[in-house]
This record gives sequence, C-alpha cells and structure tokens, in this order.
Amino acid sequence: MASITLANVGKVYKGGNRAVTDLNLDIADGEFMVFVGPSGCGKTTALRMVAGLEDISEGTISIGERVVNEIDPGKRDIAMVFQNYALYPHLSIFENIAFPLRARRVPRAEVREKVERTARLLGLSEFLPRKPRTLSGGQRQRVAMGRAIVREPQAFLMDEPLSNLDAKLRVQMRSEISRLQEELGITTIYVTHDQVEAMTMGSRIAVMRKGVLQQQGHPQEVYERPANMFVAAFIGSPGMNFFRARYACVDDGHVLQLPGQSVRVPEDVVRQRPGLAAYRDRDLAVGVRPEHLTLGSGGGPAISASVVRSEMLGAERLVHVELPASAVVTDEVVEAAADVDATAVTALEEESGQRHVTLILRADPAARVEGGERVEVGVVAPRLHFFDLETGAAIGA
Amino acid sequence: MAGEPTVRNRYTWRTFSRELIVLLIAAVFCLPLYLLLVVALKPSNQLFTQPLQIPVPPRFGNFADAWAGSGDGSLGTAVISSIVITVISVALLIVFGSLCAYVLARRPGRLSNTLYILFLLGIIIPFQLSVIPLYVGLRALGLVGNYAGMIVLWVGVMMPLAVFLYTGFVRQLPRDYEEAARMDGAGTLRTFLRVVFPLLRPVTGTVAILTGMFIWNDFFASLIFLGGTDYETLPVAIYSFVGEYVTQWNLVFAAVVIALAPLVAFFIVAQRQMIRGFAGGIRG
Amino acid sequence: MRQVPWLLAIPAIVLMLGLRFVPAIFSGGYAFTDWTGLTLSANPVGFANFVDIFTSDTTRNALLHTLLLAALLLVLSNVFGLGLALLLHRGLKSRNLLRAMFFLPFALSHLATGYVWQYIFSYTGPFNQFLGAVGLTSLQKTWLADPSWAIYTIVAVLVWQYTGLAMIIYLAGLEGISEELDDAVAVDGASRWLKFRRVTLPLLAPAVTIASTLTLIYGLGAFDQVIALTGGGPVDSTETLATLVWKNTFIYGHFGYGSALALLLATIVAFLSIIQMSILRWRESRL
Repeated sequence: MASITLANVGKVYKGGNRAVTDLNLDIADGEFMVFVGPSGCGKTTALRMVAGLEDISEGTISIGERVVNEIDPGKRDIAMVFQNYALYPHLSIFENIAFPLRARRVPRAEVREKVERTARLLGLSEFLPRKPRTLSGGQRQRVAMGRAIVREPQAFLMDEPLSNLDAKLRVQMRSEISRLQEELGITTIYVTHDQVEAMTMGSRIAVMRKGVLQQQGHPQEVYERPANMFVAAFIGSPGMNFFRARYACVDDGHVLQLPGQSVRVPEDVVRQRPGLAAYRDRDLAVGVRPEHLTLGSGGGPAISASVVRSEMLGAERLVHVELPASAVVTDEVVEAAADVDATAVTALEEESGQRHVTLILRADPAARVEGGERVEVGVVAPRLHFFDLETGAAIGA
Repeated sequence: MAGEPTVRNRYTWRTFSRELIVLLIAAVFCLPLYLLLVVALKPSNQLFTQPLQIPVPPRFGNFADAWAGSGDGSLGTAVISSIVITVISVALLIVFGSLCAYVLARRPGRLSNTLYILFLLGIIIPFQLSVIPLYVGLRALGLVGNYAGMIVLWVGVMMPLAVFLYTGFVRQLPRDYEEAARMDGAGTLRTFLRVVFPLLRPVTGTVAILTGMFIWNDFFASLIFLGGTDYETLPVAIYSFVGEYVTQWNLVFAAVVIALAPLVAFFIVAQRQMIRGFAGGIRG
Repeated sequence: MRQVPWLLAIPAIVLMLGLRFVPAIFSGGYAFTDWTGLTLSANPVGFANFVDIFTSDTTRNALLHTLLLAALLLVLSNVFGLGLALLLHRGLKSRNLLRAMFFLPFALSHLATGYVWQYIFSYTGPFNQFLGAVGLTSLQKTWLADPSWAIYTIVAVLVWQYTGLAMIIYLAGLEGISEELDDAVAVDGASRWLKFRRVTLPLLAPAVTIASTLTLIYGLGAFDQVIALTGGGPVDSTETLATLVWKNTFIYGHFGYGSALALLLATIVAFLSIIQMSILRWRESRL
C-alpha cells in the first residue's frame, strides 16, 4: 500500500529518441490511475520506468517514501500484469502463481496457502494443476493477475492486459479488475489505448501524447473540461465534433459566424469563458459532443444543416449532418482520429479539401429523418468548447 | 514511433567487463587459427620460434608452393574439384530436400510419419556402416572416381539432414499463402516455387551452410571414392601433401588456409540466416 | 483441394534409401561373412567376427576409448556451449563478431584441425612453449605421444571444435524465449540462479536435445581428427571403433571383420542416441 510519485520523469533513448518528457504525477495510495493515449505516446514507457524495466533518464520515481530509480524491479515490491500475460509455459498454474513467492524463499506451507487463496479469489482453483496452454485467453489473464496479487505488493502495474481479449470478455474483465482493485485497495497504474476502458475503470486518468502529459484528473472532469483539442478529440466515443467559426460581437450579443449562418452564443456561456474576449473577430475551433446536439432547435441556439446519414444503434440513433463550414484538421485531431480507425482519418482529409463539415449527433431511435432533409440542430450551449486554432488549447476560464 | 522498444538497455560496468572477458576468451579460443595463419607465413627454419609473431618478412611464397602441390597435382585442381562437387551437391540437396519436406509436411499421415522417422534414422547411421557396400555398388555403376558419382553420393548421404531441417520449418508455415495461390489457380509446383520456397530462406541458408561445410571439409568419403584420381578434393590433396611434406608445417598450413578461405567467405555471407533457420527448426 | 503429390518427394526418398539404408543393410549382411577384399567369395561365418571383436584386447579398448571420447565431448562441449550462449545472449555490442569467432573452429576441416593441433601439441610446439613461459616447465609433455595423455588431448581438440556448434544451437534456443518472459522474471524478483534453473533451462529443452544428439553422434564416430592427430597410436591408446573400421577395411582388407565393427558402432550409436532422444523428448513434453 503506497503512493507513487513521478517527478520530472523523462526518457531518452540512445540516438536521441525521446519517449517521455517532464512527467509529473502524484498517485495516492489505493488509487486506480489510468495512463491513456494513442500508440507511441509514452504511456508504456512510463509504466516500465515505474516497474524498473527501463532506466529513468531524467527525474525521480518514488514508491512509498522511497526513491526507486536505482532499485531492481524485483526489489521494488511491485507486481506487473503484461499484455501477453508472460506466463511460464512449462510450469503449472499453481507454480506460475507461486513463482514470485518461491523467488522470495517463502516457506512451502505458506506458499500453498497463499496460492490457493488467490486462486479461489479469481475462480482458478480447478485449473491449478494445468498448464497455461490448456487455458483460454481470459483464464490466462486471470492467472497473470493471480501472480501479481499473491505477493500483496505495494502497487500493481498493468500493461494493456485486456487488449488481446475479444470485446465481450473485455467488458466482463474490466469490471472484474475494478472490483478486485477496490477490494484489495492496492495502488494501481493501468495502461491502455482504449479510452472507454480509461473512463470506466480509472479513479483518475492521465492522457498522454508524444511523451507529454496532456491532462490528468477524474474521468468526468477530463470529459467535461478537456484542456486541449487532443484530449477533447481522444476522449468520448463517438468523438467530439469540430468546426471552424469566427467569433464576433454583434449588437445584441455574441455569435459564431459560419458561411451562410450565425449561431448565437448565450451571454451566460460567454461570461463563464473570459478567455473568449481575446478572440473577438477571430477564427477559432468550436467543439461540441454528439450528445450535446439535438434534432430540432428546442428554442435555443441552432445550426442549419442537411442530413447525410442515419445509423441505428438499438438504444439510440446517430445522425450525420452536413453544413457549409471549414473543418478543423490539426495534428491533434488527426491523431485522435487515427486511433479510432483509418477511415476516420481519410474522412477528415476529404473534409479538409471540401468546404463542408459533418457533425454527428445522438438522437432518439424513434426519430425519423431522410437523407437530404434540412434540419435545425439544437446546441446545448453550456456544453460548447472553444479551442485556439494554433495551440489547440482550450479557451475558457 | 511504431512500437516502444522493450529491451532493457542497461550498459553498466558489469556489462562492459562481461564483454571484455568474453572477448578475451574468444581471442584465446581463436588462437590456433591465428597460429595457423602465422605458421603459413613462416620460412621453414623458423617453424617453432616466436610462435605468436607474424614473421617479417612474411613468406607468401608458401602459398605458391602449396598451390603447386605435391607430386600428383596442384591444389588448383583440388580447389576446382571441391567447388564443383560442393556447389552442385548443395544445390541438389536444397532442391530435392525442400520438395520432399514440403510433401512430408503438407501430407500428414502414417506414411509421412514413417518416412520422417526413417530420415531421422538416416542421420544417425554412421557413414562407416554404409561405406563398403557403397563402394562396391557405386563401382559397379561406374560412379567411382568421378564427379557424378561423388555428387550422387553426397546428395544421398546428406539428404536426411536436409529433409529434417526443412520439414520442421515447413510444418510451422501457415498455409494461408499456399491457399491463396491455389485460389489464384496456381499448380502445386508453381505454388511451391513462387510462394513456399522463398519463405524457406532461413532454412535454406542453414542447410547450405551445414551440408556445404560438411561436404567441403570431408576427408573420409573423398579419400575412398576419389583418392588418387584427378578429381581429388582439397582435404584429400592436403592429406597427400602432408604425406610428402611431413614436418613442413608452414607449407601444410598454407594449403589449409587456401582450403579454408572460400568457406569463411561464404560463411560471413550466410551466417545470419543460419541462426534463424535453427530457431525455426527447434520450435518445430 | 488438390493434394501435394508424392512424386515431388521421390528423388529425395530414393537417394536417401539407396545411399544410406540399402548399403547399411548390406553391410549388416557382410558382417556375418569372412569376406576379404582379396577373395571374391564371402562365406557366412555366423557370429565369428563378433567373437573376435570381443576377445581382442585392441578392439575392447577401442570400444572403451570410443565411449570415453563421446561422453567427454558430449558433456564438455554442451556445458561450455551453454555457458557461452548465456554470456553472449543479451546486451553485448560485439555479439555477432563473438558468435562468428566461436563458431569458426567448426568451419575448419576436421583433418586440418588435427594437423594444426598436432603442431600446437608437438614437443617443441607453442603449447609447451607457453607452459615454459609461465613457469610450468614440469608439465611439459609429449602430449600426443604419451599413451596416458593422448586420448585426453584428442578430447580437448574435439571440444574446441564442437563447442561453437553447441553454442549456436543454444543461442537460437535462447532467442526463442520471449522478452516479455524475461520482464516477468525480473519483476517477480527471481535470482539469476533461480531464473536459470526454473525458467531458462526448461525452456531450452529442445535445444538441449538437438545439441546433445549431434555431439553424441559425432563423438562416437569421430575419425578425421583422431587419424590426423595420432593415427590411433601411440600403442593403440587412441584407437576408436571408427579408426578400427578404417584400418581393418581399407588397410588390412578384412571387409567382413570391418563390417562387423561398423555394425557394432552403428548399433551403439543408434542405441545411445535413441535413448538420449527419448529422455530429452520426454522432458520436452513436460513443457
């Protein structure tokens, strides 16, 4: 049971390749912290530095009150669950779980008792004499967790443990891992590239990109108040809608000017974002999540658009609408899109060529829309996000 | 960045000293080879003096003398002989061995398994056991004392090893590529040539090195089947060389260096492939 | 789905059977005759050849020498080979160079190896010179001419030549162990010895099988180096079954007797290597 502190941690490889820059994080005892970000963002490297599997180029990492930079992985009192489970193929499940205890010369009777208790906790009791290759992916995953748990370490480190499981299993294991962590109360750092996992499992999440921490905080906070466009685009599925507009001051208030229309920005929204004042008569990026757009204006600010497509998802309907506007295609947005899939990237690139933007909005499954139909898309104004086009930073308080 | 590197790249003093120690061991290990080179360059009167120093001036004439050879013929003919026999034998081993392995690996069943075991046994049977009847038999077929006979001999004798190495590897190959080729309408042979064989490169390297080395360096079989003829291979030539120049180590070693050179050159080229081939065979 | 035709395998099978198995079977037959190269007739003599083999001192000793040689080669080359592989496995910068250096002796023809070491071990040669230089003059010997030392000298030469092969095989085996597993062991905190005993070695089982089998088979049949180093002497102290086969067959012309010796050798090789492979395969299957 211990806190973990990363202070100014950096990692540079021979040849100058920089994987992590100036990472500062305080993880409290018992917390479930998720490092999330696209591939290559440095999250795994950071985890491995905490584990001791990578040398720390800059800064210090402390576990409990100890600075562990120079301490071997085996002596840091941490346990790790690997992406491919790293089970010892020639040992039985019992011996796999027992291995860390044997390495510490724990007496036989105690080993047996602890392994059996851990196996019971994870529902593995009947598999103890078997070998890893006879188990399914999910079962192997649990064995890997068992090996980590049996030592009652100060911290758990998990490196994308669910990425090799199929979707349904992943959902099931997610809650199991969360439940277990809560029960055992051990400080955990969990690495994933799946933002859904991050949002559902973490008590706090740290979003990373290209080795730099973008934002950290409670999932809801990161969701509602993203610090920049990357975080805004990365978190949430389907992702946030972006378009370019000019912020202007007119007689009776403030508007966002788009080709062919203006959208009112209510005064209370303006007041809550003093930073907007600096953007009078300037272009900025506007972000709004699909769940904060409605079919039909409902009396508030609205955008005129025409329906392109409608996807039925059972519990809800996703409506794609198109409007004349410029798309926001920056590195951050592209990278976040790339993390979804390749078609999202090509769609973005296509958009930047044309003068249309497609917005996605969540609607009631019963709503009926036709392709080509003109609609008024209502905007939940307090949920508008504004970003600087150059820096990507959020414009707000 | 594609993937984050996972190797612990700690290069401490400990690693450095380990490297130094191993380099030292390797140097001592290769000392005999160094001595080989040194002696090959020595004049006859200095054979046992100052063993570690390259003589000044180095007597390159030794190589010329060695090349000129002993009474029955120069090393030159022996080199050609060795090259012809080794290259053709290895080529045939690769062709027939890989084809056979392909069949054994892709047609599992009792017959295949039996044959595979037979091939394994083939590796174990010592050559000495077959040598006399082979001599008698091949002589009856007129295959003693010429290239053709020697090549046939080698291809047959080394085949078990080639098939063993190839089969393990082919068994591991996913069938996807072959199935795709089939769907494109390719026949078996075309599938093999265009799809499977290129994928076998690591094993082919291993087979080439192991069998090539063995055939190039062989003494016993070459002595029996080609001894005394114009087609003697290098080791046999060296043997008769030694017979004539008994304690003239410098000349003998010069001849040995000449015999070793082509092998080392080939080696450096094909080294990489061999490791991967072995690794594949081990897992298979 | 069209099957791969057997036709493609025929050349290989025919060549292998014809050049390895068929002659071996014939040889098995000759072993029970009194055929000599001089006469054209071969009369069956039952087990007479084998009786001669086991009543002859020379042959019995040769058998002992063969087994001794093979056992020492097997153990030493594998232990050193494994040790070197472990040293070379990770993190060394000159890894490829080192790998080549240790493998080079294997590339030298066995005959040439014999000659080089004959030079080294000759009484006025580099080895004795070295001993003298470090003050161990008393240990200088006529290594290859001393009946009690000759065979061990030969073992040293064989080990020198075959350690590189064993090392390469073990390196390949080590490379097959995933790096993630190394990470897991590091985090689990196993000491280096524990890691070796309970993780590395068991996972190397297939490599152990291949390396031991190859070195055993070669050790039992070693010929070229023995002939080049000592020719079987001095006083038959390094005579092995392989050299005896050669002498009896090609020098004395006793084809029948020679075949009997060869058959004995083949039986020993087959027997021991099958036992060894079974043991090792059994260990592998516990993986």
